[in-house]
Amino acid sequence: MKKVLIVNLEKCVGCRTCELICSLTHERRCNPAEARITVIKFEEKGQNIPMYCQQCETPVCEAVCPAKAIYRDSLTGAMLVDTKRCIGCRMCILACPIGGLSFHPTRKEIIKCDLCKGDPACVKYCPEGAFEVVSLDAIGVKRRRENIRKFSSYLDMMTGGKE
Amino acid sequence: MLKIVIDGKEAEVEEGLSVLELAEKIGVKIPTLCYHPAVGAYGACRVCIVEVIEKGLSKLTTSCTCPVESGIEVKTNSEKVKKTRKLIVEMLLARCPDAKIIQDLAKQLGVEKTRAPQKNENCILCGLCVRICREIIAVDAVGFANRGNKRKVTTPFEIQSDVCLGCGACAFVCPTGAIKIEDVEDKRKIDMWHTELGKVKCERCGRYFSPVPLLEQIKKKGLREMSDFLGLCPDCRRLVLANKLMGREE
Repeated sequence: MKKVLIVNLEKCVGCRTCELICSLTHERRCNPAEARITVIKFEEKGQNIPMYCQQCETPVCEAVCPAKAIYRDSLTGAMLVDTKRCIGCRMCILACPIGGLSFHPTRKEIIKCDLCKGDPACVKYCPEGAFEVVSLDAIGVKRRRENIRKFSSYLDMMTGGKE
Repeated sequence: MLKIVIDGKEAEVEEGLSVLELAEKIGVKIPTLCYHPAVGAYGACRVCIVEVIEKGLSKLTTSCTCPVESGIEVKTNSEKVKKTRKLIVEMLLARCPDAKIIQDLAKQLGVEKTRAPQKNENCILCGLCVRICREIIAVDAVGFANRGNKRKVTTPFEIQSDVCLGCGACAFVCPTGAIKIEDVEDKRKIDMWHTELGKVKCERCGRYFSPVPLLEQIKKKGLREMSDFLGLCPDCRRLVLANKLMGREE
């Protein structure tokens, strides 16, 4: 079943635990530069937005990859990079509109969110329980929509509907 | 399905694989330097040499270029293979004494020092960069020049390349790390290719993040509406999207 990682933005407190645990699970080191997720903080508004690969339905990274090294995992539906096939041209990084992929700072490898084989560490360790993995069936899509609606109304509430 | 014997074990495989790919599939390790799954096999480094016995006749061949055929027996670590592979690595070590991957390979195979006259090269002329640039990136910016002991990899006429994208795939795949890419502020320099390319400045943070021709190449692919974020570095793309989610234009 195809899965997606969703975040409840009302719950995120911007502690960056997800960045650290992501780096720790994948790299055995706590280094946010090696994490597959980045929290963007808006201190003046008290709002935090974790940014990560959205496992797009028609991914640009897959389309631009000349070596056909990016593929969809049949188990989780996550887009994965075949490190053996990858030739390191970095076209995927340049084509991704949301900065979902990055180049490892020291190792020769492209890194991106792989949904941890369907059981993401950020979901387990987020102290606020802001993350959730949902299956992309009818219920999952509904939850995702609800989430977006909730966030926009929440923004309206905070900004008085002006912005 | 084809039936073959590899290192005494029987294996069944589909047609169209090379012996090296088969070995990798069933978990038999064959050392190699110039093989890459994304491009065609070339058999240049000779390290992946194996003994193939067909109809009672034994021959030594590079496993990456040897197709799997029905009824063959493959020995990846026989005395004959070990001896020949050691000699091959000894010669590679003489050519590139400073390359770490070759030093490691030599250590692993028990080659302590080389008898051949030493050179001070880094490139083993495996042509992996040439194949990647030709077959995958499809710009053909580099190729082989000269013959015999003067053979080398370089750009046409050994001058700045007109077509190089500066993507760095050649440096990424190079087994010995012979190709060095230097990023100095607004320029990307690749000394081995006599090439210097300008870089694109991020519209938001001002960091130079990509060689100009590489970004042009992605624009040419014309995927979706890309114009509004292509001038931004990946870090700023995240920020800008987060800002949009917050309903702010920046």
